[in-house]
Formats: sequence, C-alpha cells, structure tokens
Amino acid sequence: MGDKADVWQGTLALMVLKTLENMGPLHGYGIARRIEQVSRDLLSVNYGTLYPALLKLEQEGYIASEWGQSDNHRRAKYYKLTRAGRRQLAREARGWEQTTAILARFLRPGEEPS
Amino acid sequence: MRNLRAWFLRLGGVFGKERRDRELAAEIEGHLQMHIDDNLRAGMTPEEARRQALIKLGGVDQTLENYRDRLGVPALETLFQDLRYALRMLRKNPGFTAAAMLTLALGIGSNAAIFTLTYAVVLKSLPLPNPGRLVRYTFRQGAMDLGLSGRSYEALRRHETVNTDLLAWSNADFAVEEKGTVTRASGALITGSGFRVLELRPYLGRVFGDQDDVPGGGPSGYQALLGYDYWQQHFQGSQSVLGQPLTINGRVVTVVGVLPPGFEGLIGGMRADVVLPLAFDEVVHAPNPMYRHPGSFWLTVMGRLKPGESVPSAQANLRATEAAVREEADPSHHFINGFFAPFRFGVESGRAGRSLLKVAFQQPLLVLEVLVGLLLLLCCANTALLVLARVSSRTQEFALRNALGAPRSRLFRQVLLEVGMIAAGGLGAGIWLGWAGARSLVAMLASIGAPPPLDVTPRAAIIAFTAGISLLSALAAGLWPALRAVRVAPGPSLKQGGPASSSKRLGGWMVQAQVAVSVMLLFSASLLGRSFLKLLLESSGFRADGLTLANVDLRATKPTNAVATERAQRMVEALESTPGVEAASALLSPPISKSWSAGHYYSIDAHGTVHSDMQTWPAAVSPGYFAAMGTRILEGRGFTRADAGGEPVCVASASAAAYFFPGQDAMGRIVYSGGEDPSLDGKTKVDPKDTCRVVGVAEDARYSSLRQAPPRMVYRPIVKDEMAPEFCLAVRSGNAGMAAAAVRDAVRRVSPTAVPPTVFTFRELVDEHLQQERMLVALSACFAAVALLLTALGLYALLARSVLLRTREIGVRLALGAQPGQALRMVVWQGFRLVLTGTIIGLVAALAVARLLRGMLFGIRTTDPFTLAAVVGVLLGVALAASVIPGRKATKVDPMVALRYE
Repeated sequence: MGDKADVWQGTLALMVLKTLENMGPLHGYGIARRIEQVSRDLLSVNYGTLYPALLKLEQEGYIASEWGQSDNHRRAKYYKLTRAGRRQLAREARGWEQTTAILARFLRPGEEPS
Repeated sequence: MRNLRAWFLRLGGVFGKERRDRELAAEIEGHLQMHIDDNLRAGMTPEEARRQALIKLGGVDQTLENYRDRLGVPALETLFQDLRYALRMLRKNPGFTAAAMLTLALGIGSNAAIFTLTYAVVLKSLPLPNPGRLVRYTFRQGAMDLGLSGRSYEALRRHETVNTDLLAWSNADFAVEEKGTVTRASGALITGSGFRVLELRPYLGRVFGDQDDVPGGGPSGYQALLGYDYWQQHFQGSQSVLGQPLTINGRVVTVVGVLPPGFEGLIGGMRADVVLPLAFDEVVHAPNPMYRHPGSFWLTVMGRLKPGESVPSAQANLRATEAAVREEADPSHHFINGFFAPFRFGVESGRAGRSLLKVAFQQPLLVLEVLVGLLLLLCCANTALLVLARVSSRTQEFALRNALGAPRSRLFRQVLLEVGMIAAGGLGAGIWLGWAGARSLVAMLASIGAPPPLDVTPRAAIIAFTAGISLLSALAAGLWPALRAVRVAPGPSLKQGGPASSSKRLGGWMVQAQVAVSVMLLFSASLLGRSFLKLLLESSGFRADGLTLANVDLRATKPTNAVATERAQRMVEALESTPGVEAASALLSPPISKSWSAGHYYSIDAHGTVHSDMQTWPAAVSPGYFAAMGTRILEGRGFTRADAGGEPVCVASASAAAYFFPGQDAMGRIVYSGGEDPSLDGKTKVDPKDTCRVVGVAEDARYSSLRQAPPRMVYRPIVKDEMAPEFCLAVRSGNAGMAAAAVRDAVRRVSPTAVPPTVFTFRELVDEHLQQERMLVALSACFAAVALLLTALGLYALLARSVLLRTREIGVRLALGAQPGQALRMVVWQGFRLVLTGTIIGLVAALAVARLLRGMLFGIRTTDPFTLAAVVGVLLGVALAASVIPGRKATKVDPMVALRYE
C-alpha cells in the first residue's frame, strides 16, 4: 500500500460517508452507483476496492451494517452512518474544503503573494 | 483510538473466518445480481448483462482476497498456519520432540539453577534506598574476611572523608527468655549511626539514634528492634509489641520498633531477628566486651558515599589515611601489625552488604556459570543436530514447497518455529528443574543446625534470564538447520536421492564442537574431583571415625569464666565415666570451623638463637584432647590432670617443634609466650606463667582449614579461668548416636538451664567445611556426565545417518569385494577423526578454562598431565563405543538390497 492508495481510500471513504448521509441506509451496489451518478460518471468505482473500504469503515465504527431486502427483493447488506461516522464526516469534509480552498488559491492565475 | 479498535477487530477477525467468508460471498452475489438486474432493465441480453457486471466488479477472487486481508492480519494468519503445522510435525515425531525438549530442558534448567544461586549470592542488593552508594570496609587475608575492630572503626570514622557517616554491625546470637524457657535468636548489634547510614525506616515504632547507643542503653535501659518475620511469628504482628519488655541474655530490654519486611540484616545468610545497639556488646560478650579490645576484629563496617565520591575515591582516601588509622587503632602494634600482619584494610562496594557465602562462593559460582554455559552450548548443538537430521529427511518436502511457490523466508521460519516450540517446552521444564535444583543446592550449603541460608524463590530477574537463554538457545539450535533447509535447491532435491554423505553436511563440525566442550567439562570435573579426594584423604591430623563434637552455650546462665571452666571440666568428667566413651575433651573452639588464632611465642635454641613467631596457634585443651581428636603424639606424652596445677608444660606440633628448635630435640626445652623477645637476653626476669616446657610433640593438624597447611601449634592445658561461656566438647566413641546422647545428658546434668548443645560428628563438620568443593565436584561431575552422554548420542546419530546415506556406496564396495571389517573400520575411522580433532581443540580450551580453577584446587596443578591423559582416554573410549554400533550396521549391509535401489 503506497501513498496514492491511501489518498484514494481516504477520498473514497469520505464519498461513502457523504453518500450514506444523503441517502440513508444503502447497500454496496447502491453506494457505488450513487457515487458514479454524483460524479457524473467521471469516477468509476472499482468495486474490488469498495468492499475492503466498507469493511475498514465498519471496523473503525463509522458505519454499521445489517442484512435486508433490496427494492427488487434481493438479499443485500445495508450500511448506515453511525453517530461517530457523522462526526467523522463533518471533520473530513471541513478538512477537504480547507485543502481545496488552499489549492484553489494557489491555482488561481496572477495572484502570487508578493 | 479508532486504529486500535480496528486492530482489535482485525485480530478478532483472524478467528471465525469461514462465517465472514460466506457472508461476503453472499454480499458480492447480491451486488452482482442487482447489477445484472439493472443491466437487463437497460436492455442488454442476459449474457451481456452478466458479462458487463462481472467486468465492472473486477475479479471476484481478487476482491475476496483484498477483503480477507483487510478482515484479518495476513502475516498473523500464515504464522498460525505455520504454528499449527509445526505442532503437527512435533506430535508426529514424539521421540524426536521429547529428546530435543529434554536436552534443552537440561541445559536451560541447569543454567537457571546456577543463575538463581549466583543471583542470590552475588548479585542481589540489600533492600535499602540507593544500595549502590554503600561501601564496606574490610580487613582480610584472602578468603578470610574478619571485619574491623571497634578501635579501627572509630579511627577510620575520624579520618575518612568520603562518606556521610559510617556504621558498625555485628551479628550475634541472643538467648531470649520467653515464659521461663530460653530460646536462641539470631540477632545483631548496630551503632547509633546505623539507620542514618542505611536510610532504613521502621515498619513500626522507631529505629535507633546515637542516644540509644550508650553503655546501659540510656536512661530507660536498652532498646530493641524486632525483625518483621520474628515479630509476625512471636508476637502475631501485634501493634502492642511496642514498649514490651524482653529478656535478652539476662538483661531486660524494651521493644521500640519493628524493621520493614525484607530486611534481614547486612550479612547475607545471617538473619537479624532482634537488633540491639552496639553498646549491648557489654552484655552479650560479658565479661570481656569486644568493642574496646584492639585485637577483636568482629565488626562489619559500612558507609554511605557523599555525592560525587565513588569506590575508587574511597580506596584512595583509605590509602591516604590508613597509616593514621593503624596507629590509633592499635598503638601497641601487637595486633594489626603483629598477629594480624597478613591482613589488609580495604574498601569495596557495599551494595550487597557483607556475605560470607559471597566470599566463599563467588569464584566457584563464576566457574559453575562458565561450565553450565558450556553445557548449554552442548545441549544446543545436540538439539541442532537432531533438528538437522529432521530437516534433511524432509529435504523433498521443502523442495516441493519451494517449487510450489513458498518463499524461502517462510521455510526458514517454519524450521525456526519448530525449534522455538521445542525451546518453549524446554523453558517450562527448565524453570521447574532450575528451581528444584537451586533448592537442593541451597540445602547442600546449609550449616549444621541452621536453615537454608538463601532465598531462592523464582524472581522476575531469574525468569527473564531463563527465558532469555531459552530464546538464545532456540536461535542457536535452529538457525543453522533453518539456513540449511532454505538452501535446498528444488531441482536436484526433488529427484530421488542426491544423498549428502560428507561429514560437513551432516554436521560433523558440530560433533567436533561437542567433543571439545566435553573435554573442557570433563577436565574441569576431573581436576576438581581429584582435588576434593586429596582434601578428604590427606591426613588432617584428626581421626574422623568415631569423633563427635558439640557446641555448648552457657551464656544464658551468665557464668564467669571460672565457672564455665569448672562446668566444662565436670562435663568432660561425666562423659569420661559414660560407658562406650573412649575419650573426651573440652576445647575453646572447634577445629576447621573458619576460626583463626595467633599467638606470640619464642624460644632460644641450643645455640642461643632466638626464634620468634607471632603466627603460632595457641590451643588450650583438656587432658583427653589428643586421644579424643585422634591427633597422634609423636614423641613424649600428652597432658595429664596433674599438669593443670603443676609446672607449666606444653605440647608442640611437629612443625612448631621444627621451627622453634630447628634440627634439635624439642623435648624438655622451654617455649616462651607473651612479652617482647629482646627480654630474652637472660637479664630480664620472665614471668613463669609465660613459659612452658615441651613435654611432647604431636603430629601436625590442619586445625584452621583442611585447605591450608597446618599451622604451628603450641598446646597447653586449660587454665582455671580461661573457658568462655561458649566452648566445644569432643568425644571419641564407636557409636555416634550414643555419644550425642551422652553429650546432651552431660550438659543437662551440669547446667540444666543452658540451651541444648548443637551436636555433630566430625564427618559432618568436614562435609560442611568442604561444601564449596563438594558442590563444585557434584555439579561439575553431573555436567561432565551429561556432556559425555550428549556427545556420544550426537556422534552415534551422525554416524548412523551417515551409514544410512552411504548404504549404496557401502553396498557397492562390498559387492566389489571389500571385507565387512573394512566397512566397520571406515565408519569407526570417520567418527574417530571427528573426535580426535575435537579433543585437540578441547584440550587447548580446557587448559585455558582450568586457569579459572586456580585457587580452588588443592595439591594438584591445572596442567596435571595424568588428568589430561585420563580425560583423553575416557573420551576416545566413549567415542569408540558410540561408533561401533553404526559401524557394525555397515558390515550388515546386504550388497544386493543396496544395489537394487540403483
């Protein structure tokens, strides 16, 4: 596991948490589809990395899972946000906003601080 | 925190894996189905829908594997797998497992036992704050560590400048009166400065200060402190003990405090159950208090270094002040520069207090540590050979696993794990063995009539040490075979055969190392054993058979010396009239019991030359002495009852007679004592009390120690008021049990209120006297025997394997016409060559190790050629025996069977 994978996993985790906050309890497939939709198909979620990420979040206590029925009567595992997950989401989101804001300031042309 | 929680879950995930796997499979299956449903809704054909879904999901197996890695800890799981496998392999070969474990347990156990002793005797600190800052002043000659006199303590305290203060301490037996009966308690005296120097706080009440250490003990009499254990046993740990009166040696003292648990005194192996101020010396040693006497060297003196000072600076300080101390401590120059001339002042670390055991056993323990370390090395070598044999018989398995993709590191780990598990088993057995061993060793060290002197309960330090050496031994025993396993090349090894037959690959160098170590152990054991035998068999000047001794203590009845002498006389008479007793005598102190005595004697020989000696041993004995002790009179006669009153007479030992009257007949000559020898110019009058006429010459006796040359002795009859309240009785009788009963009976009849005497035979005394040698001999002999056995087993196993691997070759040779005898010779020669080189290496090393033994050997040199030859002979004999069995197997190889494998 290099740094890149960690960053990707970090952002994936944030996306999963945000998705669960918006959509309520959702199964793995649903989460993946939702992320793709929101990114307007710019992102393609590799499902192979999704499940380990879900497991990691669950082990860290940010999400909880239970078995349920999908819309078309498939058995599926539903994930939902825990209270710790909500706090983590708020924290991470703030961190990202800060990072993007800083980067945006750097990337804006012609405003080098003198 | 989150990370920690995740790790716990992951560690938990190592278990219950299958359920999680099924669940994940179901989840992925659901995922796939939903994706397919969506694809169908988007208008794909069923095949296309499934294909697209699978592509998008990526490899299902890969996903599962990723997921699993996250679920548990992969490294841990393979470790568990390997562990399970190792366990299975060990269970499958119970013989191998038991042999290997037992070998390691022996090595680890003996190391643990010796280390337990070393720890207790040498390494353990006093339970005091900052024990490393304590120093101890000594006055010693070699192993004879006397302590300081009261005057030298005071002089030193005045002059030295490196310590905050000094203290003086002395262990002393007290007679404690409780409800009418007198019991002996081991006690101690300490100066008022003592607890300040030790920084020791009481458990209860208070400790002494300077105001308590005055003659009479201050306005309210003497104050006493109790040891914690004594307080628990005799006062049931009651707080009301404070202020209680206690009668000690006939004097009433008041208990003012209880010492903290764990503090047993400053002298290792000597408990201090009752502690009194040093001024109590006037009561304990009445009527001749020792403190003021310039010739009594009895005090353990310690100090606490000032900040910035160290043991070397204390030594420098002592050298600078020693002359002044000597002068003030003994202005007469009779003692420090006279009788005690061979003794030297010194200062050393007082961290561990003073230990008589340490003085006696530090060097033997060092030797034992070396020997036992060698033994562990040998045990490791043997285990390594065993493991190697296992590994090479599994060559194909390793090659196959390697070929199937098992990384070499994993094969390496596999072998190490198996050895590690063996070591773990060895550790368990070793800790138990070590503890049991240490206990029986300490029992061997106990003095007559005393409890084991050391505490050997397993401690953290000892267990850590044992675990440490187990780990090291596992590594030592496993590393080499593990490396060998890894180096297995899949190609040739997978093919049937390619046998390894050279000694090198079989571990021949390990057998050589084993032989070398065995030589060292065997040589050390032989030297120690022969020295011990010499000590036992060399004429001691006493006849051990039928000699019973007893220590009599009349102090509780507070007799004057005249009364004590008279009572001793009556006891001897009572004994002499007992049927079955051949002879009886009273003596001031028992022989060979660490006592030391020196007197000033001189003579004028036939040519008028003065022979003066301050190291002559004065022995006051009663008439039956020579008969009772079995010391032969070589010339003249022994003492009679009439000698006590008449003209002063004496018996000189052979060496004394030769010293005072060289080349002349000593009989009838005069020996002078006391006074200054220049007065012998014939003009000064000599007090007739200070002269004696030699009426007999006795054989030399090793009165002080069996290890030392016999001292020059001048025996004279006991004077009327010479006997201290503590003395020794010697009885010669064919029946030791009867003699013991007779002594007890005599003491009871003459002095009914005295403490019962401690009775022991001369043989028991010798056993105690030589316990250091006996322990060394017993242990080193054990080690050597184990070493020989292991070496023989190692050699046997190596040759047996070699014969097995060379079956084909031997078969071919036999088929081509070689005689069976040649096959036998070939095998035996292979073994012999290994043993020969090992022996040569071992001899060189053994001579180096033996130098450690110098100073512990009696009457034998560390290069004794006879012992060397014997050791080589024994080893070659054992090697021959170990090679003949596999050799005979080689002669039985059937050429047809052997060749059929081709």
